[in-house]
Amino acid sequence: MDTLTELLGGFAAAMTWQNLIFAFLGCLLGTIIGVLPGVGPVAGVALLIPLTLNLDPTGSIIMLCAIFYGTQYGGTITSVLLNTPGEASSAITTIDGYAMTKLGRAGAALTLAAVGSFVGGTIATIGLVAAAKPLGELGLLVGPPEFFALMVVGISLLVALAGKSMVKALISGALGLLISMVGIDPVAGAPRFTFGMDRLLDGVSFVAVIVGVFGLSEILSYRKNAETPLVHAPGMRSLLPTRAEWRRSAPAMARGTGVGFGLGLIPGMTGSVSSLLSYAAEKKFSRFRHQLGKGAVEGVAGPETANNAHANAALIPLFTLGIPASPTIAVLMGAFLQQGLTPGPSLFTEHSDIAWAIIASLFIGNLLLLLLNVPLVGLWTSILRVPTPILTALILLFMVIGAYTINFSVFDVFVMIGFGLLGLALRNLDIPLAPMVLTLVLGPLMERSLRESLEISQGDFSVFVNRPISAVLIGLGVLIICSPLLKFRKPKALTEDPEA
Amino acid sequence: MSRIKITAAFAAAALIALTGCGANAGASTVSGDDFPKKGKSIDLIVAFSSGGAVDTAARLVQPILEKELGTNVEVINKPGAGGQIGYTALTSAKPDGYTIGATGSPSVVVSPLDPARGAKYTRASFQPLGRQVVDPAVIAVQPDSPYKTLKELLDAAKANPKSMTASTTGLQTGEHFALAQIQETTGSEFAPVHFSDGASQATTAFLGKHVDVLVANVSDVTDLTKQGKARVLGIMTAERSPSLPDVPTFKESGYDVEAGTARGYSAPAGLPDAVAKKLEAALQKAIEDPAVKEKMSALGLQTSYLSGADYEKFWAGQEEDFKKALPLVQKKN
Repeated sequence: MDTLTELLGGFAAAMTWQNLIFAFLGCLLGTIIGVLPGVGPVAGVALLIPLTLNLDPTGSIIMLCAIFYGTQYGGTITSVLLNTPGEASSAITTIDGYAMTKLGRAGAALTLAAVGSFVGGTIATIGLVAAAKPLGELGLLVGPPEFFALMVVGISLLVALAGKSMVKALISGALGLLISMVGIDPVAGAPRFTFGMDRLLDGVSFVAVIVGVFGLSEILSYRKNAETPLVHAPGMRSLLPTRAEWRRSAPAMARGTGVGFGLGLIPGMTGSVSSLLSYAAEKKFSRFRHQLGKGAVEGVAGPETANNAHANAALIPLFTLGIPASPTIAVLMGAFLQQGLTPGPSLFTEHSDIAWAIIASLFIGNLLLLLLNVPLVGLWTSILRVPTPILTALILLFMVIGAYTINFSVFDVFVMIGFGLLGLALRNLDIPLAPMVLTLVLGPLMERSLRESLEISQGDFSVFVNRPISAVLIGLGVLIICSPLLKFRKPKALTEDPEA
Repeated sequence: MSRIKITAAFAAAALIALTGCGANAGASTVSGDDFPKKGKSIDLIVAFSSGGAVDTAARLVQPILEKELGTNVEVINKPGAGGQIGYTALTSAKPDGYTIGATGSPSVVVSPLDPARGAKYTRASFQPLGRQVVDPAVIAVQPDSPYKTLKELLDAAKANPKSMTASTTGLQTGEHFALAQIQETTGSEFAPVHFSDGASQATTAFLGKHVDVLVANVSDVTDLTKQGKARVLGIMTAERSPSLPDVPTFKESGYDVEAGTARGYSAPAGLPDAVAKKLEAALQKAIEDPAVKEKMSALGLQTSYLSGADYEKFWAGQEEDFKKALPLVQKKN
């Protein structure tokens, strides 16, 4: 079957009314998470995983993907209207977005951001379709040693996510590996780190850990901002950009797509890098660069296109190679694994129907976001009027219910709370959480493929360098790990990336 | 101030007591007459990953079970450790009928016998509900392999022990026992590679030529043979399989090896009688359903139903057999 037939099959599967509802709900919830200033995309996706656990794999992943890119758009709304970015990747949008609001062009800014997001997201998804088939065909070439090498590349991204201190990143990464070891040994069957507790035989629940470490700790460390100002949603009329604004946005969107797509493919880059670089590109190339900072449409259209192109492009390494490029994607990958789907080359050979349905739903989701967001701007802004104490209480309640429903056991609620406190402690110690989620997700896959590889080679470690694909991948991993030694300094914007 | 605290503490205590009572009350009503409650779904735990024969069989049976029991049945995959993770989940579930599982021997029989595995369950932790199929073991090579007959392959493995890798679905699973029995009777030694998540991983690795020899069940190779992606050299059973009529048995080739996997369904021990009866009856209906049987045989699975009691006897017999064979597959320290 060629790509188009399979994609059409995917559309047929994604267009069942259940799956459409899941995509719709995902966009809705994602946008809400994006609008809420205290809850970032990782926490948001983590928070909502329990909701999707009992759905069938297709519906569940469709919903989570929709949540994921929904957050990217939601962050824009507060950036433009309130000068407060809902997400780090929309931070740069505040400059011209809020300036436009002051000029009375808030509606136009939001519409252009939505259209830009749609354009960027759709083009990136087309890229995924194009890449899926050739990379998926590599599936059978990837045996246990190659899979292990892929996981080495994945784990080496820890370097890129490290932030300020490598030692702290390693502490976090080791902690993640340790947690992933709890439970029955996946090969020999002996219980590990269970302390005689039957509850731990099945391992520590991934979802409870994620909800705790990211969701709960984020809420607990939430510092009350200044009073949220009263916002007035722009009227329907002002939503339409003028002809001149459209004309000026188009090249910015094209540049944003390029920047976001390219950077999204590079594991370890976060969406904020894309939006920052897109803004920089506008400063350099736009014909109206002198107006940037004073409410230029390019300053909204470019970065917003870029962060959505980035979000969708980042799904390419996940789907085709099983490498989670950012913390949010790592959480998403965890959700795949919960559903019995291993993202990577074998996804398209073993579960091609599900994979294509999800890809098709990415197109649908991007369209839904566009339709959903522009007319409903008033609704989103009204969420901000809910007082913070009530909002956080509601989120807390939601997390407890979410943790409970994983197995209908109070034990998981305590696991969630315990890991929430751990997450809070790590945050206070300035230890990044991203490496932990990376190793937590990749650890078990890495262990399994390592042991299978060594059985194939009968204990000989050279199996990883004797096979061309795995040798190249291992080399790449080593290169990434050594890159900080090469005085390859990151730009300042990167080291202070709040998402990392 | 202190009064408020006391009141709050009291209220909290009352709340805890109330929820506690609620839980107790819920547990004591399990008599089984009202089983299954409308809207309460039954989990069917499959201890291997999706796509394998255990999973496929469970998913075929599932819709009929739903019809018979009048409630949702959800297939849940809990792969890992050659089935042990799923079996642990099954036996630690409440014996109220809302959790049942697919059980396959030898994995379920053997895992509690080896103390090194630290299994939390024994034979007595399961209540067998019915056997569905017996799936004989086969040995297959790559289509471009130089070995055309079983004898050629086994002789080569005898001349150069451990020169060829062979897949299993995990330590001490049916495939691993089959390899051990081959080694015991013929002296041919393969290097086992354990794909602990199940047959689909093992088959994928074989198709990618990452392992030389595929040791699997008839159902795993029926389709592969049709597509010319595997050459099955022998089947470890007394008679040829209707799904693979051209494949000679080990006996025909002069080797006395019989091995395979038997699969059925069980609940955690301690089911109320009424619940067990309902589940057993529904399973029998589902397993013997003509449409299900037909789909099963298309996949290379010959239905061979045994009632719960007979499945239990069969299980006990297997336990005796595998106890003797266990040293062959234990890790040598």
